[in-house]
Amino acid sequence: MTDEPRSRIPSLKLVGKDGVSEQGTSSCVYGTGQAKPVVRDVDWTILMARAQDGDGAAYRRLLEEITPYVRSLASRQHRDSNDIEDVVQDVLLTIHAIRHTYDPARPFAPWLVAIANRRFIDRLRRQGRVRARETSLTIKHETFSEPRANIEERSDRHELEGAINNLPPMQQQAIRLLKLKEMSLKEAATASGMSIASLKVATHRALKSLRKMLADRSEP
Amino acid sequence: MIKTPDLIASLAANATPVRRLRPPVTRAACWLLLAAVVLALLAVDQGIRPDLAQRLQDPAFAISMAASLLTGMLAAIAAFLVSLPDRSRLWLLLPVPALVVWLSNTGYQCQVQWIAIGPDGVSFGEATRCFATLVLTSLPLSLAMLVMLRHAAPLRPTTVAFMGSLAVAAITATALSLFHATDATVMILMWNVGTAALFVGLAGMFGRRMFRWVAPRTLAARD
Repeated sequence: MTDEPRSRIPSLKLVGKDGVSEQGTSSCVYGTGQAKPVVRDVDWTILMARAQDGDGAAYRRLLEEITPYVRSLASRQHRDSNDIEDVVQDVLLTIHAIRHTYDPARPFAPWLVAIANRRFIDRLRRQGRVRARETSLTIKHETFSEPRANIEERSDRHELEGAINNLPPMQQQAIRLLKLKEMSLKEAATASGMSIASLKVATHRALKSLRKMLADRSEP
Repeated sequence: MIKTPDLIASLAANATPVRRLRPPVTRAACWLLLAAVVLALLAVDQGIRPDLAQRLQDPAFAISMAASLLTGMLAAIAAFLVSLPDRSRLWLLLPVPALVVWLSNTGYQCQVQWIAIGPDGVSFGEATRCFATLVLTSLPLSLAMLVMLRHAAPLRPTTVAFMGSLAVAAITATALSLFHATDATVMILMWNVGTAALFVGLAGMFGRRMFRWVAPRTLAARD
């Protein structure tokens, strides 16, 4: 940023004229033959100054242009691509929240890099905390949350099977197809060859006698 | 997770015009003006200590007071500078010389007067009035500083809060020595250095939380 005073003048002029002289001034900036990063910085300065004045298109262009830059900065600190994208979005949100703190008389890149670095460090710290305090779930933990691994339920299931086996064969079939395999009446009718009406009656009777059997068993 | 291009689009759609911050030194001057107003109001209300003119003849007292005032001013300027993302952290060193003079002078005074006067020079009534001055000076100044520096929340909250409280503490200490004849050594040490330490310590502990309280909405929603 050795030629910062020179870059100050065009950027400030542009803000005042708003749109009309953008072409002229930017060609003048390119015409002075400055190094490329400086030109880009001046461009960003102009875009940011406009964004502060409420120019949504300029703001959008600025954000689109700085995103790859911020992403490349982030990729030096973070490896996971999700992390990188997250932190890039964090930087964009921060820029949005404090865009009024940017002074167009000063170069844009240091302002951006300072904010980005803060967010990168914040994220690294948060990751450190998470790693220190949290353990990720393993398969062992998973089996306990699965209902089938639950011993209580399995023994219930066993007794239920026994009760169903005591039912007459028609009712057994109806309850197996409709309740345990959770078929629709139509599917059960085609599978068993019984009519829908007789399936309904068989299920009703089966449930009634099952309720009686299981209630009797649990009472004493 | 929202996609980055979508985020950009929604941010661009929200690009309402914002008012740029004034230069940091100007803002620090505004805050110092507020401090002057508060001190003036207190002077009207409580009255300057009766022996001020006489005490100002004493070089140790005059230097200590000038140094605390200077510390307050420089710390305020440093806080406003450091609250901006692209300013160097070295600005934090700005108030250090004045701070060293102030604290070393208070310490020296304390040592000398311990021998001269003894510890029980101040009555209880004086102490409560001191406390009133302390609260009346520091509370509005702290709140003003917090609101004026809220944009620093996502950047360096602790550092900025630290500097801001140093400014508040130094101004408060100046107010105390303007309004109260706290000549006993323990009181001087307690009020001057104790107040400073209290504010700076509180800032270190709660600075981050306080800033989040007044921080811009986008960040509050995100955290």
